[in-house]
Amino acid sequence: MTERDDERSTPGRAVEADDPVWLAARLAEAQKQLAATREILSLLATASTSEDDVFDAVVENARRICRAQVAQIHLADGEHFKVVSASGYTAHYAAFATRNPVPLNRGTLMGRIALDRRTHQIDDVLADPDYNLPEFQRLGGYRSLIGAPMVVDDEVVGVLMVWRTTVEPFNEHTADVLTTFAEQAALALRNVELSSALQARSAELARKVDEMEALAEVGQAVSSTLDPDEVLTTIVEHAVELSGADGGSLMEYDEESLLFRVRTTYGTSDAVRARLKTVRVHVDESFVGRAATSGTPVQVPDLSQVDLDPHLRLLSDAGWRSLVVIPLVRPDRIVGALVVRRLTPGAFSDEVCDLLTAFASQSAIALTNARLYQQLELQRRELATTSQHKSDFLASMSHELRTPLNAVIGFSEVLLERMFGELNDRQADYVQDILDAGRHLLALLNDVLDLSKVEAGRMELEVTTFPAVDAIHAVLALVRERAGQHGVELRFDPAEAPTHITADELRIKQVLLNVVGNAVKFTPEGGSVTLRAWTEGPEVLITVSDTGIGVAEADRSRIFDSFQQGTRSASSSEGTGLGLTLTRRIVELHGGRMWLDSELGVGSTFGLALPRQLQEHHPVESWSDPAAPDGRRSVVVIEDDPSSAELVGVHLTAAGLRPVTVRTGEEGLAAIRALRPTAVVLDIHLPGMDGWDVLSAIKADPQLASTPVVVVSVLPERGRGFALGAADYLVKPVSKEGLLGAVWRAVAERVDRSGARRDVVVIDDDPAALELVRATLEPRGWTVTTCTGGAEALSVIRSVNPSIVLVDLLMPDVDGFEVVDTLRADPRTAATPVVVLTAKSLTARDRQRLQGRIEFVASKGELDLSWLAARLTEVAAGGGDGRREVEP
Amino acid sequence: MTPLSVLLVEDNPRNLKLARDVLEHAGFAVTAVTTGEEALTAARVGMPDVILMDLQLPGIDGHAALSRLRADPVTAGIPVIALSAFAMQADRERALVSGFDGYLMKPISVRDFPDQVRDHALGGGTRDGAP
Repeated sequence: MTERDDERSTPGRAVEADDPVWLAARLAEAQKQLAATREILSLLATASTSEDDVFDAVVENARRICRAQVAQIHLADGEHFKVVSASGYTAHYAAFATRNPVPLNRGTLMGRIALDRRTHQIDDVLADPDYNLPEFQRLGGYRSLIGAPMVVDDEVVGVLMVWRTTVEPFNEHTADVLTTFAEQAALALRNVELSSALQARSAELARKVDEMEALAEVGQAVSSTLDPDEVLTTIVEHAVELSGADGGSLMEYDEESLLFRVRTTYGTSDAVRARLKTVRVHVDESFVGRAATSGTPVQVPDLSQVDLDPHLRLLSDAGWRSLVVIPLVRPDRIVGALVVRRLTPGAFSDEVCDLLTAFASQSAIALTNARLYQQLELQRRELATTSQHKSDFLASMSHELRTPLNAVIGFSEVLLERMFGELNDRQADYVQDILDAGRHLLALLNDVLDLSKVEAGRMELEVTTFPAVDAIHAVLALVRERAGQHGVELRFDPAEAPTHITADELRIKQVLLNVVGNAVKFTPEGGSVTLRAWTEGPEVLITVSDTGIGVAEADRSRIFDSFQQGTRSASSSEGTGLGLTLTRRIVELHGGRMWLDSELGVGSTFGLALPRQLQEHHPVESWSDPAAPDGRRSVVVIEDDPSSAELVGVHLTAAGLRPVTVRTGEEGLAAIRALRPTAVVLDIHLPGMDGWDVLSAIKADPQLASTPVVVVSVLPERGRGFALGAADYLVKPVSKEGLLGAVWRAVAERVDRSGARRDVVVIDDDPAALELVRATLEPRGWTVTTCTGGAEALSVIRSVNPSIVLVDLLMPDVDGFEVVDTLRADPRTAATPVVVLTAKSLTARDRQRLQGRIEFVASKGELDLSWLAARLTEVAAGGGDGRREVEP
Repeated sequence: MTPLSVLLVEDNPRNLKLARDVLEHAGFAVTAVTTGEEALTAARVGMPDVILMDLQLPGIDGHAALSRLRADPVTAGIPVIALSAFAMQADRERALVSGFDGYLMKPISVRDFPDQVRDHALGGGTRDGAP
């Protein structure tokens, strides 16, 4: 070994240090070195610098400062070193060195440096018997060599080496300089590695962020709108953009025809889209179909290399070169396929496929929702049309029947008035029969019209306050004559009656006339009919008891249904069969209720209860009754502008809430304290205490602070509203949807904070309905278990013990009524809240069967999904009011 | 005192006969026609004290006939009462809004009918002479 380590140069340095000339030279050298280091460091500090720039600067300076003929940097590449930068090479040597990597072994200086991880030099290669690169030496002509390792992360990644063509060994100082330069070169390498790793990482992050944003956007579109085209277009657009593709289409699968149909496209010309929409893509006979059946993404990297089905041929002809098909599947079935295409050939990476698969699951939900929405929309339209047809039919039927009835009744009256001469008794009797029959027909006609008005929601009440006793006497007067003829005594004690009733006077008289008339009709001679009226709690109660034949128990629940008279019909053919139905509807329209107590052969008592709340002129005084008699939850509306207040009131009422409107902040606070409303709707501009003060007062009172307050104001001061604790802030004018959305959200948020368990068992024989409920509730944090039949559901409910059960009424095996009955009868599930979701329009009998046993009924036809979610959340949290009302 | 003259416009022969007979019995002078077009001519020629007009008529209907009567200065001042089997509140309101002076619904009350017509003919008619 003739190679000389750095340490061996130490004696030489002591001699040289005494020499002033050498010192001056040394200083100049140090200055040059400093300048060189600065140059390299400044290069390193520049972010945009590539490693090659740094290497070039290093070899240039190293060669100069080390007074060498050549400086070079080799980087490790497996078992060899390859030159990456050099200064002083001849063209010939450069070509040779580039072609020939240096092996990593002790036969080379680089090998020794790498293996020992330190600086080495060879004073004269020709005197080194182990040196084994004769070819290199012959071409380069070098004699003295020195090199330093480039170490990154404890690994020798390269070597900086200089050589002299004369035998002139390098001193220790030169070795130090070279070591420094090597360190700088290593630093450059490390910087560049870090920087590119950083760039790759940030590019990766940026891509992830894009993906997340896109997924979030799609998710939002999926959950916030049911406009199918909007959702699907969003999905295709993002799928194409994120996968760096050029176009795409979303295909919907029709289970009946077994065909895929293009629903929406992106990046596709109108002409191609039009052709895509007509091409036949069968599940068994197409590439898309096979991909969808496989359940995983399937791609064609080059359309020119495969057999083409008509769909692919169309795409290929239109210039598309590669594509990937992502199946859209729900757990049990294919709903469609997402096709993403490029104009260039090439495979889609696994990453892209994963991303598209994530999109696909969103798309499948969106597509399912969109279909359900369309079905619902169609049903809704059909219902609306049917309802309109019914109204039109009734109106024209009424007109056509009235025209001949006019003659029947009119001529009978002419005869009975003896306008044109006397009738004998028998003739008069017959004409009276004709007149009675005509009037009966007319009454029937009027009841049908009234009933259809109530059912269409078009009967409006003209509520006034009228003296109760006078109205009752007026009704009794109308039946007194008939009662006298039947030998029935009419009894009424005005002493206990309320002084006034506030209701639609004509309608209430119609109701009483019907009930009292019935009682008289079904009471045998010598019996009596007793009318009582009194006030009890929040209600005015009126009962009519007879000593008649009674109503069999089996008939009691359906006596309020149309054309049901129970066994009583046997004794009489009078009455329209609609009277009690109409009566009950009118009472319900007032927010009241009707009932029947009866004992066969003893008598019947029909009762009706009207809410007193309707008749209070000063609602403040009635607030001591927080439980509204009709079971609706109250919302306090603090608004001084009557028309705004009315509008808000109408919207809230339509949503099944009970608005309590006050004009001032002071009254509002009193109402909130008394009623503990579900929510407060608050105007800001108020006489006296303004809305801000009211809001602050509510939030400052620990007992009221949790009450959600929705501010509705002309002032655009959302920030201030939220800062003061408003649940939501709406700027007038406010739409119905905006208002109700804010109220339901506020209610749901309050309930959410209660941290209640939210899992629901949904029972419906219609899979589409199940999916809709799932798609609505799952994004809102619900655990949804679905059952398609009542029998299955009962065992599921017992095992999962859900916080709520959502049940359809009409099912083939065990129907919803039976489910409710069974749940209530079992002590384990007796308290489990049940909500009915049904397309069936409930009859009075249905309601009676469900009354007190379920939380509420949601109608499929007019379902507002966010409303349903909010109300379920409320029920699950036990935040309902504990009443179990079946609303009309 | 000359009897009050009534122009009765009614396309259903039985209802025409009923209204005519009841009114004549009560002392009215009744002219009866069965279409809107005939009514226009009869009104110009006869200048009745009051017109009783069915709403659903062949040819021009009651509403159209009313606006033609109002558009003609000769007949514009004659009170016109709708006599209809349309029983909806909305029908009555539409009729009153479009300018009928009263609305009588079929079936008529034979006992009250002459008085209702007389009230309108004399100008002090109750606008809602409902049965």
